[in-house]
Amino acid sequence: MSLTTHTTTSGFILPSIHSAPPFFTQQPNPTTQSIATDQWIHLIQAYARHNRLFVLRVEDAEISGNDWDEVLRNERINRKLLPMHLTQILAKMVFSNVATYDPPKQTRSVLLYWRLPDEWAEVLHSWAVSTAQLNTILTFYDITDPPVKSELSGIPVSLLRKAINILVKSGRAQLIGVADGEGVRLFSGGR
Amino acid sequence: MALRRCTKAVDGTIPVQALLYDDEEIYASQDNVGIYDGPQKSPNHQAGTIYVTTHRLFYIDVHNPFAHSFFMDLSYVSRTEHYAGLFKSSPKVTLHLTWGPTMQNQTASQDQTTGFESWECEVCAYRNPPGLSPAAAKVCGLCGVPRASIPTPIAPTVPPKQLSLSLPASSTSLAIPSPRSTTPASNTDPDTIACPACTFLNHRSLRSCEICSTELPRVRRTMKSAPSSRPVSPDLDDEDSPLTRMVKISFRKGGDKPFYTVLKRSLKSKIWEANGFGTNASINTRSVPTTSDRSGVSKSGISGILQTVEDSAQGRQMGMMDAFQDLEALMVKAKDMVRLAAELNEKLTAASTSSSTQSPLSLASTPTSSSTTLISHAEPEEATFIRSSLSQLGLQMSNAPVTLDMMKDERRWIEELARELAQVLQGSREGGGMMKNRGIIALDEAWGGWNRARGVALIPPSTFLSVLPHLPSCTEPTIQSRTFLSGLGVLHTPMYSAAAFAAKLSGMLALTGPKTTIEVALEEGITVGLSSEMIAAAEADGSICRDDSATAIVGGGGAGDAGLRWWPNLFVDYVWDGQD
Repeated sequence: MSLTTHTTTSGFILPSIHSAPPFFTQQPNPTTQSIATDQWIHLIQAYARHNRLFVLRVEDAEISGNDWDEVLRNERINRKLLPMHLTQILAKMVFSNVATYDPPKQTRSVLLYWRLPDEWAEVLHSWAVSTAQLNTILTFYDITDPPVKSELSGIPVSLLRKAINILVKSGRAQLIGVADGEGVRLFSGGR
Repeated sequence: MALRRCTKAVDGTIPVQALLYDDEEIYASQDNVGIYDGPQKSPNHQAGTIYVTTHRLFYIDVHNPFAHSFFMDLSYVSRTEHYAGLFKSSPKVTLHLTWGPTMQNQTASQDQTTGFESWECEVCAYRNPPGLSPAAAKVCGLCGVPRASIPTPIAPTVPPKQLSLSLPASSTSLAIPSPRSTTPASNTDPDTIACPACTFLNHRSLRSCEICSTELPRVRRTMKSAPSSRPVSPDLDDEDSPLTRMVKISFRKGGDKPFYTVLKRSLKSKIWEANGFGTNASINTRSVPTTSDRSGVSKSGISGILQTVEDSAQGRQMGMMDAFQDLEALMVKAKDMVRLAAELNEKLTAASTSSSTQSPLSLASTPTSSSTTLISHAEPEEATFIRSSLSQLGLQMSNAPVTLDMMKDERRWIEELARELAQVLQGSREGGGMMKNRGIIALDEAWGGWNRARGVALIPPSTFLSVLPHLPSCTEPTIQSRTFLSGLGVLHTPMYSAAAFAAKLSGMLALTGPKTTIEVALEEGITVGLSSEMIAAAEADGSICRDDSATAIVGGGGAGDAGLRWWPNLFVDYVWDGQD
């Protein structure tokens, strides 16, 4: 009974524990369950980072045919993660600040922080520096969908706003209202 | 007067024994007696022998036994007096008599119709023999049913005196029993019976009508061979004063005392009315139907059985009432008992403390106080005994500490029991015990097996539980008790302790792959319930984990525990080997 890793079609290497049926069962023993949940969080974050996924919904465990199938289901051992189990995993992710409920005040959908907002702020700043867009006004659209694909491509606006707010607090950005929405001006910072 | 009213003449030439009813017996006799009718001597009855029987009093005259002898039913006697005698006056027994207005007639007719004639019971058709006493003759000797067609004397519409005056010849036609009201009263011809249906006059020996076969009323003709020696004729000058309502027996030659005691006994036992109805209504109302009254009577037939059942039920009721009364008394006294126990306890404590302080002194001081040392040595044992008996009675004081020596006996007992239980479980050298081939056994099974082995003096569960802590010290390998989360208690060898079993189980699962609960039970040779308890315990301490088939994508199923497979705990020691 040796479990092995598995490489998916998208090139993601699933851990060996993903092939163990007990991994998909909610364990009554709290110690065991917390270990299992930690492994799940680890797996979800790694997969999200690999595939640049920002949102995980409980529906993803209920209905097949979405981005998360490879993780939440394992056809080889005929196991899937039950929605209730996923809800609890999401709750723990929010609790340990690796995700946040988005939109807030519900528990069925989370915004994943495979990079923390602080990290995203640094990424945004370094991206602006590297693309020489300091001191220019950028709309959110310019950032989330740049002509040249960047790390920030496809980032949800809510996450982007959090990153910008962090930069504003440290004086490296300024939020500007423009005609068709909001804009941001980034400074070199450090003052 | 009284003598004439209540007595009937008998032929004294016949021996008394031959005059008795079948169920009558002579208690005592005394010769040389005289009879007083009321306050005066009765001239014809001055020398004779008196007999007292269960039912009657016989007087047999010496000089003229044929004419002057008589008997009297004891049922007339309401009260007796004894007069010891003075100088020339002999000792006397006075019988106060009572009688109802119709009594004379009634007894006379009964004598003629029931006393000396056999009759057939209507229920069981048993032909009752003649010769029984009037009371006994009213009840069938076989089935005990009262005689239905008992000739109830027609209540006279005229006073008895005039009635018997108008019909001096023993009033035959009125004494004829009339079970049916249709019996023609004008049946004057004594040799024929009118059929109640067709009025045909049948011969009197026929039982059913010659014409229409209707059953005929049975006519019992008085067949008196001889005219009564003393025709009953009431006195017109009868005074109903208590003085005249008595008969005295004068004992000319003594013997009064033994006779009187026997007479009183006979009167008290009231045998004449025991078999049914008393002839005297006034006496009957006074008699209380208790078991002791009837115990001497032979019981027969259905009514006898019913009587027995009734009596036993009554006896039970009495016993129950007594018991409840005792209980109530005990409840009233309970507080006193508790207080007494408390006082006793206090005294004992005081005595033991004083003796314990005193004993070293007395030992040290003088050899003369050897008696006190003896007492002080004896006292603790007695005190212990008293206290343990108090605690056994449930009168243990809460403030009195349960000392070690008080419980000494019980502890030894428990240890002995533990040794015995160990033998039952593990067996002696030759025989196998209950746990010879099993490492684990449920408590209830062990308890049942132990008691079965004991056979007598069974051990209550509470004692069994108190024995368990002593078990490990008596067993090799040690047997310990363990209680699962569900409350199931087991006895197990070290192999089945929680840690050992969990290690064994996870090793087995790692070696042979995941298993269901039932498979584990099969593997271990224990019951499914027990194995599920032990697996739950192992899961609780994290050595195994579960795989629920409800998580299957296809199929799945098995509600509850059926779909569970047990895995070794993969999560412990897992190192991330996937993509970061």
